Amino acid sequence: MRRFVLFFCKRLLFIVPQLFAVSVIVFFLIRLLPGDPSYMLAGPYASPDRIAEVRKSLGLDEPILVQYIHYLERIAVGDFGTSWRTSQPVLTDIEQRLPATLELVVGAVVLSVVIGIPVGVAVAAKRGGALERGVFFYGMLAGSLPDFWVGLLLILIFFFFLGWAPAPVGQLGFAVFAPDRITGAYVVDSFLTGDWPAFASALGHLVLPLATLVIVYMPLVLKTARSAMEEMLDSGFVLQARANGLSRRMQLRYALRNALPPVVTVIGIEFWFLLGGAVLVETIFAWGGLGQYAVESVVNSDYAPLQAIVLITAIFTSLVFLAVDILYYLIDPRIGV
Amino acid sequence: MTMHRILQSDFWRFAHLRPAMMFGLVVIIVDLFLAVLGPAIAPFPVEAPAGASLRPPSALHWFGTDVSGLDIFSRVLAAPRIDLTIALVSTIIAFIAGVALGVVSGFFAEGDRTGRLASGLIMRTADVVQAFPMFVFALALVGLSGPSIKNVIIALAFLNIPFFLRLTRASVLQVRSRTFVEAALCAGNSPIRTAFVHVMPNSLAPALVHFSTTIGFSILLTAGLSFVGAGVPPPTPELGLMIRSGAQNMMTGQWWTALFPGLSLALTVLAFSLFGDNLRVFLDPTNRR
Repeated sequence: MRRFVLFFCKRLLFIVPQLFAVSVIVFFLIRLLPGDPSYMLAGPYASPDRIAEVRKSLGLDEPILVQYIHYLERIAVGDFGTSWRTSQPVLTDIEQRLPATLELVVGAVVLSVVIGIPVGVAVAAKRGGALERGVFFYGMLAGSLPDFWVGLLLILIFFFFLGWAPAPVGQLGFAVFAPDRITGAYVVDSFLTGDWPAFASALGHLVLPLATLVIVYMPLVLKTARSAMEEMLDSGFVLQARANGLSRRMQLRYALRNALPPVVTVIGIEFWFLLGGAVLVETIFAWGGLGQYAVESVVNSDYAPLQAIVLITAIFTSLVFLAVDILYYLIDPRIGV
Repeated sequence: MTMHRILQSDFWRFAHLRPAMMFGLVVIIVDLFLAVLGPAIAPFPVEAPAGASLRPPSALHWFGTDVSGLDIFSRVLAAPRIDLTIALVSTIIAFIAGVALGVVSGFFAEGDRTGRLASGLIMRTADVVQAFPMFVFALALVGLSGPSIKNVIIALAFLNIPFFLRLTRASVLQVRSRTFVEAALCAGNSPIRTAFVHVMPNSLAPALVHFSTTIGFSILLTAGLSFVGAGVPPPTPELGLMIRSGAQNMMTGQWWTALFPGLSLALTVLAFSLFGDNLRVFLDPTNRR
């Protein structure tokens, strides 16, 4: 236990400079803009007063280090500026949209794990045969499929031709009221409040975008689970278990326990990929999450939200990798910092 | 004579027994051919309407026409010039920068204080760059610097550097402990010269193998950026842009608008990744099964 606390604290210390460095990059990102950032941040229809205000809030006449410290002070209290397109504080916009994206990303990760690990283990346990060949071809193909194209094909097949899926516009049907807000994710909220019409509609709308992400990104988990499991099943301790007459079930259990660390790592990487994939998939399904907000901000030159989204997704990734490292330690305590 | 030599080479004997590698090779060659000649052999102009809007595939328009009446087949033929150029140039830049930084950070990882500092600094910077989800970061970089082919290339090159850096560093760390490196230093080579003239050529293999995979991945990212409107400006014949313009039509049943560009995109990316995977096996005989 003491070793764990020590590891935990060390790893936490690691993340502090990382987050600072992330903030420095995001701070300088806005300086890629040609000319004076205050014109750009205030938006194309800003009055001279507004530009002067933005200019002052950015402190553009001050030394760069002072500007950076002011930037840190502002983001520490959640002030990411104002979006000229929605004329709301960026923080408010993000709070409204983040749950929808998390619903998609977390859902895809959970499904990838629930499908990927058992199938990977099954293929490793019983080599040869149709399943292995199927998994091999699928794994080869999936990494090369453009996620946005797969989404469009699913819409074409399941919405246009078969009529099974609802129209790919948003998270709910037109005539359905949003459930009371608890977490902000419609499927979760409608379930918690027992709002069944909203639950059915939200779930129906979730199927295609979620399927797109799972089809394209699940093989990452599947392939890792499979190769880690194959390696373990070939190793000495499983051979020993077999020689001692342990059942196949027990052999698989021992092997799986030791195959988990690489799988946990790849789940972290899956998050990293999915945050990008979500941007494209949200655009197709008009999902109204953070990803779509990012795209709309880029297309409309709305830079304050863009800066905030980059920062938030990077912080989120850093935290996921932190969680992965801690989980890894719990599974395999031989690892140190 | 040359043909004979190709057919006798190790590479060919390895490749022709592997359908996946042959497939990759053929598609890559076709792609390179189209990158050079695509716009010239396209039956219709690629940036001007060639017929009525939204015609399904026919003998005249093999892949149909899109909403503005552009011939999709011609545009698919012309697209590799844009997509492949962006991917190739950005990957070459990332390769050169990544390998150079990787050699420095690997060779000086256990050197004097300045060396260790430089090495650590390079690695921590790579860590931070990779903390950003790649597509989101690419979107921001291109969005802020303005959507253009040049800016897409710069953004992709920048984001791919850490991958080449890590691969090269790992390989340099192994190579630098070998005796010939010690011999080179004793013979009076400066550390920098030893690192780049003696160690680097022996540490290139992992980065070279990753090259092919990165091209495929960069094509995918380029198309993704254009798809959301933050990449190449329309009406350039680019696969992501074509899928973007076909996206609305897919929902109303004009399936050919996005299907063919997407198919071409998936085939290209698949080819590069299959070729890269098999190349890895070819160059590492201990791995051949």
